[in-house]
Amino acid sequence: MNKQLAMVIDSSLCIDCKACTLACKIENNVPDGYWRNWVKRSEPDFTNPEWMNHRTPLHFQPGGCMHCEAPTCVQACPTGATYKDDAKDGAIKVDPKLCIGCGSCIPACPYGARYKHPTKNIVDKCDYCEKRRERGELPACVITCPTKARVFGDINDPNSDAALLLKKNQSIRITNKESDTKPNMYYLSATAPLNWPVKAKMPDAIQLWKLVGPLIWGVVGLNALGVLVMLGKQLLITDKEPDTDISRKETRRS
Amino acid sequence: MTQTLIHRHTRLSIFMHWFNAGCWIFLLLTGLGLIRNDDLQPFPFWPTMLRTVFGGGGNLLLAHELIGITWAGGFLLYGIIRLKSDVFPFIRDIFTVDIRRDFLWLITKGIQMTLGYKLLGVVAEKFDFNPKIPDQGFYNIGQKIFAIPAVFGGMVIAASGIVMILSQTGNADTEWVQWAIVIHFITVGLVFAGLLIHVFMASIAAGEKPAFISMFTGTVPEDYARHHHKLWLDEFKKS
Repeated sequence: MNKQLAMVIDSSLCIDCKACTLACKIENNVPDGYWRNWVKRSEPDFTNPEWMNHRTPLHFQPGGCMHCEAPTCVQACPTGATYKDDAKDGAIKVDPKLCIGCGSCIPACPYGARYKHPTKNIVDKCDYCEKRRERGELPACVITCPTKARVFGDINDPNSDAALLLKKNQSIRITNKESDTKPNMYYLSATAPLNWPVKAKMPDAIQLWKLVGPLIWGVVGLNALGVLVMLGKQLLITDKEPDTDISRKETRRS
Repeated sequence: MTQTLIHRHTRLSIFMHWFNAGCWIFLLLTGLGLIRNDDLQPFPFWPTMLRTVFGGGGNLLLAHELIGITWAGGFLLYGIIRLKSDVFPFIRDIFTVDIRRDFLWLITKGIQMTLGYKLLGVVAEKFDFNPKIPDQGFYNIGQKIFAIPAVFGGMVIAASGIVMILSQTGNADTEWVQWAIVIHFITVGLVFAGLLIHVFMASIAAGEKPAFISMFTGTVPEDYARHHHKLWLDEFKKS
C-alpha cells in the first residue's frame, strides 16, 4: 500500500501556546503576515452555566494544510504544479519551478491553507517539512509541540504512531458540507470549532475553461475532420477544372 | 518547359514564415504538455511523456517561455524593421475586401473544394450564377479570413503569455493571470483550428504546390500567379 502521511491531532491537549506556528514560520521562512499553519479556538459559550465551575469554555484546535484525499486545489491548478504526490508520500505539494503563481488554487482550498508568496511569486503552503523529513526528522510543528497534540506519520503503516492513535480513538475530519475534500487530518472527537471551512471556490476563469474547453477541442477536431474530408476527396475523386473560357461561354446569359 | 517566375516573397519574409512555423510547432506541443488537469486535458499521456523528456514540468515551462519570448521578440523586431515595407502593406491587403467578388469566391471555391467542379457547375446552373471562381489579389479572401484572426490571435497569445511571465516576477494580479491562461488556451485553439486549413491548403491541396515551393524560393510561375492571384499579377505587371 502507498504511503499516506497524515496528522492525527488531539486538540484537547492544545494549550494555545502557538509554538507550532512559530516553529513552522522559522523552519520554512514564512514571510511576515503569512502563516502555513494555525491554532483556531472555539467561541466561549457564556450562556452555559458550566463555565463558572472552573471548566474552561475554550477549546484550541491546531491545524494546517490537510493534504486532502480529494483536493480541490489540485482540481483548480491548470498545470499540475499543485499535485498529490501519491508515488512518494501522499502529501499535497507545489512544484516551485512549474508554479507561476496564478493563484487559482488559493480560493479552491476550503481551509485557507495557501497563500501567494510575496517575493517568490509562487503559491506556498505546508509540505509537512519535506526537507526535515528527508533528514529523518519530524515536521517542525510536531517536534515543537510541548503537549504532543500533533501526531504525525504514515497512516497506511499500522505500526506508526499516527495509525495507532487513529485506531485506538474515534476521530473526525473537519469539512465544509458543500466541499468534502476528504482531508488527511484527523481530530480525536470532540474538537471545536467545526464550522469554519468555507466552500471551495473555483476561480471564474478556470470554470470558464472547463466549460469552453470541449468546445475548443471540438472546433479543432471539426477542422481536422474537414481537412481529412478534403484530402479524401482529392485522393479519391478526379476533379479537373473545366477550361475557364468554355465555362464562361456555357454560362453566358443573355 | 521554362516559365517566367514572378517574385512573391522576400528572403526575410520566407525566413519569418518558417521561424513562425517552427516556433508554433514547438510552442503548441510544449504548451499542450503544460496542461495537466483531469478536467482540462483530454490527452493525459502527453504531459506525462513530455515532462519525462524535458526532465520535469519546470524545465518544460522554461523551454516554452524561452521559445515563446523568442517568437514574440522575433516578430516585434521584424515588425519594427519592416514596418513600412511589409507590415503596413500586409495589414492594408488583408483588410481590403471586395464584397461582391470575394463573397462569390467563398461560395464557388467552397463548393469546388467540397463537391468538385462538376457539381459546382450544376449548383451554379440551378441557382443561376457564374461558376467561374473570381480572380483574387495577392491573398484570396480565404487567406484574408485566416490572416486577420492569425495576426490578432498572435498578439493576444503574446500578450497573455507576457501576463503569465509577469506573474512570476510579481507584477501581475492573480485574477489577471488566471484569465490570461484561459485566453491563451482559447486563442491558440482557435488559431490552430484555422492553421490546420492553412497547412492543408498550402502543402497538400491540389494545384497549390507552386505556392508551397515559393515559401522556399520566393518565386511563383507566371501561370500559377495568373490562375490564383490574377489581380496581383496584373498589378505586378503594371509596376
